[in-house]
Amino acid sequence: MIMHEVLIVGGGLAGLMAAMNVSGKADAAVLSKVYPTRSHSGAAQGGFNAVMGEDDSIEAHVFDTVKGSDYLGDQEAIEVLCSDGPRVILDLERMGVPWTRAEDGRIAQRSLGGAGFPRACFAADFSGHVVLHTLYEQALKRGVKTYPEWHLLEILVDKGRVFGAVIYDLARARLEVIRAKRIVLATGGYGRAFLKTTNGHANTGDGMAIAYRAGAVLSDMEFVQFHPTTLYGTNILISEAARGEGGYLRNALGERFMAEYAPGKMELAPRDVVARAIFKEIKEGRGFEGHYVHLDLTHLGERLVAERLPQVRDLAIRYSGVDPARVPMPIEPAQHYSMGGVRTDVWGMTGLEGLMAAGEVANVSVHGANRLGGNSLLETVVFGARAGRKAAELAPGEPWPDVSSNTVKDALDRWNRLCLAPSAHSRSDDDQFAVRREMATIMTNQVGVFRTGVELEDAVARLEGLRKRYRDLPVPVGPQPFNYGLMDYIEVGHLLDLSEIIARGALARRESRGAHYRLDFPQRDDRNWLHHTFAHTTDRGPEFSAGPVSITRFQPQERGY
Amino acid sequence: MDVVLKISRFDPGMDTAPRFQRFVVGVEPNQTVLDALLCAWRQDIGLSFRRSCRSAICGSCAVRINGRPALACQTLMEKAVAEGEPVTIEPLPHFKLLKDLVVDLEPFFESLKAVVPWLILREDYGGRMSPEVARSLEHPATCILCGVCEADSETSETLHPAGLVKALRLARDPRDALGAHRIRLLQVPVEVLRLFVRELPDKCPKGIEITDDILRRGVT
Ligand SMILES: Cc1cc2nc3c(=O)[nH]c(=O)nc-3n(C[C@H](O)[C@H](O)[C@H](O)COP(=O)(O)OP(=O)(O)OC[C@H]3O[C@@H](n4cnc5c(N)ncnc54)[C@H](O)[C@@H]3O)c2cc1C
Ligand code: SF4
Ligand code: FES
Repeated sequence: MIMHEVLIVGGGLAGLMAAMNVSGKADAAVLSKVYPTRSHSGAAQGGFNAVMGEDDSIEAHVFDTVKGSDYLGDQEAIEVLCSDGPRVILDLERMGVPWTRAEDGRIAQRSLGGAGFPRACFAADFSGHVVLHTLYEQALKRGVKTYPEWHLLEILVDKGRVFGAVIYDLARARLEVIRAKRIVLATGGYGRAFLKTTNGHANTGDGMAIAYRAGAVLSDMEFVQFHPTTLYGTNILISEAARGEGGYLRNALGERFMAEYAPGKMELAPRDVVARAIFKEIKEGRGFEGHYVHLDLTHLGERLVAERLPQVRDLAIRYSGVDPARVPMPIEPAQHYSMGGVRTDVWGMTGLEGLMAAGEVANVSVHGANRLGGNSLLETVVFGARAGRKAAELAPGEPWPDVSSNTVKDALDRWNRLCLAPSAHSRSDDDQFAVRREMATIMTNQVGVFRTGVELEDAVARLEGLRKRYRDLPVPVGPQPFNYGLMDYIEVGHLLDLSEIIARGALARRESRGAHYRLDFPQRDDRNWLHHTFAHTTDRGPEFSAGPVSITRFQPQERGY
Repeated sequence: MDVVLKISRFDPGMDTAPRFQRFVVGVEPNQTVLDALLCAWRQDIGLSFRRSCRSAICGSCAVRINGRPALACQTLMEKAVAEGEPVTIEPLPHFKLLKDLVVDLEPFFESLKAVVPWLILREDYGGRMSPEVARSLEHPATCILCGVCEADSETSETLHPAGLVKALRLARDPRDALGAHRIRLLQVPVEVLRLFVRELPDKCPKGIEITDDILRRGVT
């Protein structure tokens, strides 16, 4: 049996940052279902928010974030995010991140939506990529042990405390138990629950679903971010940086329609506002071919597009066949980010002893009901580092948790039956691809940018039906190396669990706040709904309760832009 | 359009050598080879291939398409088909084959370590850098570690191009204590490096360009 004091699951920005902060202080390892450099963090383009200039202030960053969150963000946590930010950005620069520079040689900053200041540090539009690779270099330097292409299947709990994990080693087609004193989850989001999403194939919400099954609390799952500008058809992201650099949105009549919706901020209003505006334009018949609007960069000039937005340009040429320096890009909103996740405090501690979480998988609640562009990358490095520091401080002094040998054996037997034995289920005509497709379609059409009680109720019922079908599916049989069919089967199970929680949470929340917009309850309702939603697992399915929001400096007010 | 794919299959438990399997998939011309592979997977769930970002930024989906190493998610079907149906998809050469299109990446990632692939911060670094210098670091830093250059190079066993790219990018970094010395530490003849740098943009799916002034500085 493998033992590590701290087991970090996930090799994206949050996971690698945690690993760096544990290394040298406790024995740590990183487990990741894809090679760390292939984590989804690498796709992030826009940048990392942090207060670097003298005219900006931490207080302003906190306020923008609180307001952006539609007052559902925990102000205590937001304060930590914004205060730790500048230090972490400078640390990254000393590790070798090639930040784009201003004329005076300092780190340059650009405007992203919802910010009152150009506050995002960036490296052209490869921001996530270069930081991910720099952190990977640091992991190599520190000799951090990694287990690439190992999938977390289950978090093992005995007497209320986490003591290890069941892992599936994809290359060798076998199960493994890793014992740990602490597990830090950094497994990212669940974008693949939606048909239209900017997320890569690996974003299947595993960590959230596995933590939830192990007894951790999920919070605010009904808040799902839809990015306003993704390439029509493929939903490949066109970074907010494109608007930050001055891009215009236009409908089929050629109008800059944001003037109707957010005259003060125009294209740089927060994402929820812009996504709704685009949808409304399309719904009301002002979209091109009834399906999309234009993101127009043609007035910015070839040189600026080439220098500041090279990747955007590449992606648009390749996947839409248009050169954005010359022709406007066809775009539509798509799922992008999960505001909800495993509930943690500002040190990444969950309510389940021994389990920690950071990054998109976690809900420390810095984004509340709507995340601002640039705050999520900052969250991964700030809270990844904090979780790492805390784990390093605690783990060495903690005894190895006791376990009854039966607990391990039972778990292994269960997974062995599923992963390595021929399928015990009856053969059916149904398949996991069909179930996944239906789930993702329901989520996009009925649990999307605009929601209604009627549609949500129907979604919940249909998702329940899909779960029944899922139980009767044939399991792709092993053992064979690189059994992606089996992994997909397991991931669909995770996505179904989470979809149900998202849809139920959205049905329960009878108000509109941030990214959660109910056509039948269009107003924000602070009297009844200024609280978090907690979801726990029970034998009867998810159960929901309310949790308080931390409000310190800024009292809720109307959120106009 | 319906397209015939000839996909290389290899199951280490059953096969002694790879063989081709034909799939007929319905794809749009502007869809990618990765989309076509996903269609094939729906027909045979046992087919193994890596993927992650589907937007040419993670390096997972590198395979050989019609004989040339490339990223499946970056190659449009219309282009692959234009080279003559059927479209052949094989694992990267020069890597050990593990299953179907999946190759062993351990030695590739291991090879990075040889070049000291991290910044060694100069003690007197003051925190500023000119925008031009920063820009010159950006492009080589976009290497996605896909392994296409390694697969495309006859000498990759000794050279390990992805490591070279990292070393050359660090060599230009004014923050790095080793800086241009890194070139000498590589112990690769400068003519070889020069040729490598010249050929790279055509082979690399990210078109990585490293100007060769750094090579001059490293030698003198
Ligand atoms: C296209 C795109 C662009 C974005 N741009 C920006 C931006 O400009 N600014 C910003 O602030 N935010 C941006 N975001 C959001 C931000 O990038 C993500 O929220 C963030 O990178 C998540 O990082 P993470 O470390 O939490 O997870 P990830 O980077 O997603 O990493 C998850 C890790 O967990 C591993 N993993 C998952 N499941 C398992 C399992 N079962 N077993 C083992 N390992 C597992 C994966 O292999 C991976 O290593 C963007 C998001 C997208 C999709
Ligand atoms: S240099 Fe280019 S081809 Fe080689 S690994 Fe990097 S991105 Fe891939
Ligand atoms: S899937 Fe990421 S590069 Fe192709």
